Amino acid sequence: MDNLKSDCQCCRQDGEAELSPAAWFARMIPHCLDYATAAKTQGRPIVGMMCEYTPRELILAAGGIPVCLCGGSAKTVEPAERDLPNNLCPLIKSTYGYHVLKTNPFLEMADLIVAETTCDGKKKMCELMAQTRPLHVLALPQRENDADARESWYRELGKLKAVLEERFNVMITDEALRDASRVMNRERALRREIAGLMKADCPPYTGRQVLQMKSSISGLPDDFAQYERAVEQVGPGCPSQASKVRVLLTGVPLPSGAERVLELIEEHGGLVVCQENCTGLRPLMDDVDVDHPDPLRTIADKYYHLPCSVMTPNARRMELLRQLAAEYRAECIVELVWQACITYDVEAYFVRKLAEEELRIPYLRIQTDYSPADSARIAVRIQALFETVEGRKMPS
Amino acid sequence: MTFSAGIDAGSRTIKVVLLRAGEVMARGIADQGITQEAEIERLYACVLEEAEVERGAVRAVATGYARNLVRGAEKTVTEITCHARGVARLAPGARTVIEIGGQDSKVLWLEAGGLVRDFAMNDRCAAGSGRFLETVAMRLSVPLPELGALAAKSTAPAVINSTCVVFAETEIIGLLAAGTSPADIAAGILGSLARRVAVLAGGQIVPPVYFTGGVALAPGMDDALAEAIGCPVVVAPDPQYTGALGAALLAGELA
Repeated sequence: MDNLKSDCQCCRQDGEAELSPAAWFARMIPHCLDYATAAKTQGRPIVGMMCEYTPRELILAAGGIPVCLCGGSAKTVEPAERDLPNNLCPLIKSTYGYHVLKTNPFLEMADLIVAETTCDGKKKMCELMAQTRPLHVLALPQRENDADARESWYRELGKLKAVLEERFNVMITDEALRDASRVMNRERALRREIAGLMKADCPPYTGRQVLQMKSSISGLPDDFAQYERAVEQVGPGCPSQASKVRVLLTGVPLPSGAERVLELIEEHGGLVVCQENCTGLRPLMDDVDVDHPDPLRTIADKYYHLPCSVMTPNARRMELLRQLAAEYRAECIVELVWQACITYDVEAYFVRKLAEEELRIPYLRIQTDYSPADSARIAVRIQALFETVEGRKMPS
Repeated sequence: MTFSAGIDAGSRTIKVVLLRAGEVMARGIADQGITQEAEIERLYACVLEEAEVERGAVRAVATGYARNLVRGAEKTVTEITCHARGVARLAPGARTVIEIGGQDSKVLWLEAGGLVRDFAMNDRCAAGSGRFLETVAMRLSVPLPELGALAAKSTAPAVINSTCVVFAETEIIGLLAAGTSPADIAAGILGSLARRVAVLAGGQIVPPVYFTGGVALAPGMDDALAEAIGCPVVVAPDPQYTGALGAALLAGELA
């Protein structure tokens, strides 16, 4: 049993003699900080990002360091409420709180922030932030499968390219874009492979570990080595993993620090085998075609197809959920909606319909914010969901 | 094993149901206290003694918000699954269960066999719960069991929008100061609580509807609910015991 246990990643604790990839990524923020500090010293620009619609390929091709600024801390919500309304999503408030408190080192280091017109809350919050920080906003068209919207997004990325070139005094060549796309394709492929390990009957990781295995800064060589290890050197999951309820978690992203609901699911008998959100598989599904004659075009197309709930309609997300629920053999769907996230909240209607009427699996929507006050109630609802899943398995 | 017990350690009261071969042979109820673990233990021992059943001969399932404090239970099951199971036993055709307990309210949708198809519950506070009614009764200086009777005397129910205990109290003080009769306030409160549950149900009520939990004992609450959801509401027999009954039935099925 001892041998089996040391091989099984899901039971592994941080700080064990040989550093596991999960333990490596547990120290992700310090690694990123070291990397960004060194890069800044060498004169490379730090570019903050607010959302997965921002193409990291363009920033990398400009010699910049793309770093995600999404806030996941309950502690920075209150300071944000000085300027922002109470009824706004905690992700936006937390991000803005860091701006007010000046306690996110990456934000303080940033030479430029790239934001998008995704949801109204974020868009307007960025206007406040832009008063004191250099900020470029990408106008994201929100109509799905529309030739004009696709063209508009392509032109928008052309403008970003020009902004990056001018600000950082570089020339972004097609070759640089292709090189950057290769790096990002590699990163996406590795993270897809790690996520794909959860398709197993007895998955080798917990959903919490999979969520952890990513980085605020993309393209870090040391991270790539750990992603490879996470795929290649993984042993079997411990037998208890096979008896847990297989959960597909969908909805809003879980930025670093805001993993509470996923943890509650896994503390109460569930295993999050798949994460259809922006901190999970959603932005990893499509790659950039590096052989295309116009690299900016294929980059634009990849990002235009990201199925965030700000898109209308958003049939691609339902298609993705259908595909993932089948591939990962989900036994139920849990949808996480941050308080006051209107687009996910409304779109939950369609996800519930998909789960109950088409996939015929139980669905639970959890709406919450970053404060842990409702954890006990959420735990009861999760347990009741799992009791229903188990009840349906039993012969009646 | 022929004996099984369900222990429902709720926020305001503890309920125990003891079954022999699936039929109720004893039960008991006690107020929840500060030393919850001891209170639960005392009631369980008392029910066993009354039925003259040895503890070792009983398999028990615990439910309710303090379920993890129950010693001697082999398993814990959420009150959601237990209420569904209890109601399905009492009324096999039930499709919707409205449960209003000490500190929360829930709507459960059942499928055949008493399995929970879906449920909704209030997440963050005691809005729309038994605690809310307790506060109101205290403010109106009537014993809780008489709140419904008082409401029945109302001629023009007061409009009360708050379901938050704190805000409702403020509203009541304002209404009393304006000369509104306690009967109209009581009727307004029952209506407010019922509307809150109707919102929780999101218009998805499937009849027949059964009403459980301690608040189902308040006279007039069933009528207020029926009006708010637009469909008849049946108060489950012994509504306070539904969760404990469900837990006892589940205990009887333990492998």
